[in-house]
Amino acid sequence: MSIIVDGLKYLAYILIFPGFLFCFLSGLLLCGIDRKLVARMQKRVGPPILQPFYDFFKLLGKETIVPVTANKTVFLIAPLVGLAAQVVLQLFIPVFSFNAFHGVADVIVILYLLLIPALSVIMGAAASGSPYSGVGLSREMVTILAVELPLVLVLLSVAKVVGNAIGTGLCFSLTDIVNYQLSHGSLITKLSMIPAAIAMLLIIPGETGGHPFDAAEAETEICEGMLAEYSGKPLAAYKLSHAVKLLTMTTLFVALFLGGIGGGIEQALMTSAIGGAFCFLIEIVILFLLCTVLVALCCSFVHAVTARLRIEQLFKYYWTVVTGLAVISLVMAWFGL
Amino acid sequence: MFDKLITESMGKSPWLFHINAGSCNGCDIELVAVLTPRYDAERLGYKLAGSPRQADIVVVTGPVTKQSLPRVLRAISQVPEPRCIVTMGSCPQSGNVFRGSYSVCGPLSKYVHVDVDVAGCTPKPEAVIEGLATATKILMEKRQKGGQK
Repeated sequence: MSIIVDGLKYLAYILIFPGFLFCFLSGLLLCGIDRKLVARMQKRVGPPILQPFYDFFKLLGKETIVPVTANKTVFLIAPLVGLAAQVVLQLFIPVFSFNAFHGVADVIVILYLLLIPALSVIMGAAASGSPYSGVGLSREMVTILAVELPLVLVLLSVAKVVGNAIGTGLCFSLTDIVNYQLSHGSLITKLSMIPAAIAMLLIIPGETGGHPFDAAEAETEICEGMLAEYSGKPLAAYKLSHAVKLLTMTTLFVALFLGGIGGGIEQALMTSAIGGAFCFLIEIVILFLLCTVLVALCCSFVHAVTARLRIEQLFKYYWTVVTGLAVISLVMAWFGL
Repeated sequence: MFDKLITESMGKSPWLFHINAGSCNGCDIELVAVLTPRYDAERLGYKLAGSPRQADIVVVTGPVTKQSLPRVLRAISQVPEPRCIVTMGSCPQSGNVFRGSYSVCGPLSKYVHVDVDVAGCTPKPEAVIEGLATATKILMEKRQKGGQK
């Protein structure tokens, strides 16, 4: 009996809350808010906030073209693999004190899962056999290399700070990181974590292919790069997984640096005696608002004021400035600041 | 299941692909004017797609020269159904001042079905937006009629 209940619970997790439905709705909504904000910053009226939903459903209704030179199986499966990995990733990131899959995955698994969507785009692009995709995928690989190093260093410094406090040396468990913040306040209030948080903010547009770092899918010079040959449903899957990536990266930021806010909310709601389900709903709304603020800060604003970087400029920027910030944070964490 | 939703979305998110078939660049600049802050066609969902495979509406400018004709036809054939073809300016419609030149093969309607003609040299942005809106309606009708192939 309990197996069935557990099974249903996990099914609900996968399909509804941190899973597909939540990812679909809030990811696309986040994407729409981003587009609207960029438009307003450029003194335009901008598309309606629901525009990504229209785009998604329109793409579902278009013809799917598979190029003659393409490897059909890989070409069509790659977008689905990417989308699935992206949703699985979202399942493992805790929402304040709520964690759908307790203690199954830690920071290192998240690091691996973050790579799969990018790799799936590369696989699909390579299978399409288009020269534009070829240029795009080589640039995407450089972008991954550039972003991965500072990301690992940021995660390492977070692990060190929490590990120091708990007394385990290095703490890679996301649940422990969030629980520590729930009782001790957000990590961003620590001096040693401020450079890491800034580095993470700069990593988010790089990881999601945001504006100054979108050399891999430069629509005006290499015809959308890796997506050049995609149309119809596979393209819709890519657009969706890109939107979910925006959500995932920002929720990861909230879990790593702003987890303490959850403690505050819970205390405030506890005293006002509201039911558990309602309290949980408020937490989700607050999480979404935090994600929106982060997207506005590190994607929309940066998009509105910058032009595209060349790929070698991007690489240099990540391996000097962003990595430098992460290293400063790591050294400070090692000295226990 | 989502049939109605898809048809409705079709009218709200038309992506453009722009082909220059030997144009003098006047219409090309005017098309950009439609998309930039002053007229901001993105508020209606229009977006410039980088690849013909992602487009819904093909905008052709220029009198269709001998050199560009095979390339124009090839690019148009790569646009997935349902699609709409809009000619912009008088050139692809009639040849304009280039009519009768040895290197001009136009009008475009000799080779493909053209859904909307926006005349003018160059057409005003308002006229372009109206033409695109008509094309969007045709796009929705095509979707309703033929569905997806």
